[in-house]
Amino acid sequence: MLCERCKIREANIQYTEVINGVKTEHHFCAQCAKEMDFGPYAAIFDGEFPLGKLLSGLLGIGEEQEEQKKAHQVICPACRTSYEEFIKNSRFGCPECYGIFDLLIGENIKQLQGSDTHKGKRPRYHYQEEGEQCSVETLSGQGENVWEGELDIEEQIRILDARLQEAIAREEYEVAAQCRDKIRELKEEIGKC
Amino acid sequence: MLKWFECIDPKRPGIISSRVRLVRNWNQYAFPSRLPQKESLKMLRQLELGLQNLGSLDGKHYDYWYLGDLSDLDRKALGERRVFNSTIASKKTPTGLILSEQEDTGIVLNGTDHIRLQMISPGLHLGELWEQCDRMDDYINARFPYAFDKKYGYLTSFPTNVGTGMRASVVLHLPTLSLGKKFNGLVTEMGRFGAVVRGVYGEGSENYGALYEVSNQKTLGLTEKEILDLVNRVALQLLAQERQVRKITLEKRRLEYEDEVYKSYGVLKYARRMSAKDAMIFLSRIMSGIVDGILEAEGNCAIYRVMLGIQPANLQKISERPLEKEELDEARAAYIRRELPELK
Repeated sequence: MLCERCKIREANIQYTEVINGVKTEHHFCAQCAKEMDFGPYAAIFDGEFPLGKLLSGLLGIGEEQEEQKKAHQVICPACRTSYEEFIKNSRFGCPECYGIFDLLIGENIKQLQGSDTHKGKRPRYHYQEEGEQCSVETLSGQGENVWEGELDIEEQIRILDARLQEAIAREEYEVAAQCRDKIRELKEEIGKC
Repeated sequence: MLKWFECIDPKRPGIISSRVRLVRNWNQYAFPSRLPQKESLKMLRQLELGLQNLGSLDGKHYDYWYLGDLSDLDRKALGERRVFNSTIASKKTPTGLILSEQEDTGIVLNGTDHIRLQMISPGLHLGELWEQCDRMDDYINARFPYAFDKKYGYLTSFPTNVGTGMRASVVLHLPTLSLGKKFNGLVTEMGRFGAVVRGVYGEGSENYGALYEVSNQKTLGLTEKEILDLVNRVALQLLAQERQVRKITLEKRRLEYEDEVYKSYGVLKYARRMSAKDAMIFLSRIMSGIVDGILEAEGNCAIYRVMLGIQPANLQKISERPLEKEELDEARAAYIRRELPELK
């Protein structure tokens, strides 16, 4: 495949962009990638493309390449953990780090764990697969909730409120409205007591 | 109420304990190493508030602690009793602990991860422990949204825990098998299947007491059930091999074996000073002597409880005062004389 920017050289970088949940894929050559703005990843493309070498070393041990140092400058915008710090402590700073360092650590995690894909349990609450709409019902102590009736009203309100904030952030206004109505209902119930 | 380690499971006496541990993080906060003190305290309060009725789930009584409020000795003693690891025992930043009265269910809050749930029981019960952990995990999750990624699973501070966030482990007593030349090879072999076998009290020949812990190496790419099956299988395999060599020893060198067991009992019953190393060696012999029916002890004879009691911090807790090394040996001997079961 040719680079979609210069349309001359072979594309060897796949760049996936997710903006407001919309995923777009781009294919660039190393030279064009270098000239573009990739936010926190920019350092990777600065100079010779080092990714192949980077992935070949386990957690950066071994090759002390100049290019690798550039990759070390990738910094998680959420918690300010740099790739270098991650290598040093083998420790992530926040959940966002996984997404930010994904490209750099995928192979390492695979070497460490023998796999890079989770097969086990998924969260029962506050989590939906992409594209799947979450309903309020699964959160409010009804339906499949095993603690039916056990969550007291204040607790239910607290959980619903968290869900409401989450829904607003995800721009799922229908779910947000359901949460809001349910909270109002529960608050009225408390009022009656 | 008896603590879990004061009880024994008579079904498989060579197996000391089973443990399932889950690591989770609340998606609203950075991981503990990057969480400022103020935020940590805020999160701890929220977690504690959200989990204050934990007892309603399983009927147990739970105590809530800030580790900062406990003395160094208390923290070390809890570490020795395996409520948490030594890293958490010496952690200085805000950390919370929710612990059941029996010490069989514990949640460390803001340790290396936000939530570290652990359940322990005597004997081999990984399946039941997982069911209980799963249930409590859902209970916590209903109140706190988890950091979860479709690809990587539950997100954790260390990449060694990512995925299921689960560590299943079994502590075994392998006094005869571990003496054999092939033992190290066997341990390496188990690694190929994804199981780690390590000495509970130190590595290699330094592991006095012959207690070994089997656990899963990987946490990603396997289901929880697959992890449990793996650890269960390896534990049973090691136990079967131990039984086999013990049977041969009993058949071919019974007198020597009996002599060792009774001498150990005699020393522990009458010694006035006892180093941790000697105590562990002798207690280990008594443990196998009881399992093999050489010694018949009166009443509850959870030797593992004595092994925990003679560890430095617990011994000082029991003695109710700080002890120098010499005094420790004296206190240890006295404690063992008191706690060793009478023979029938």
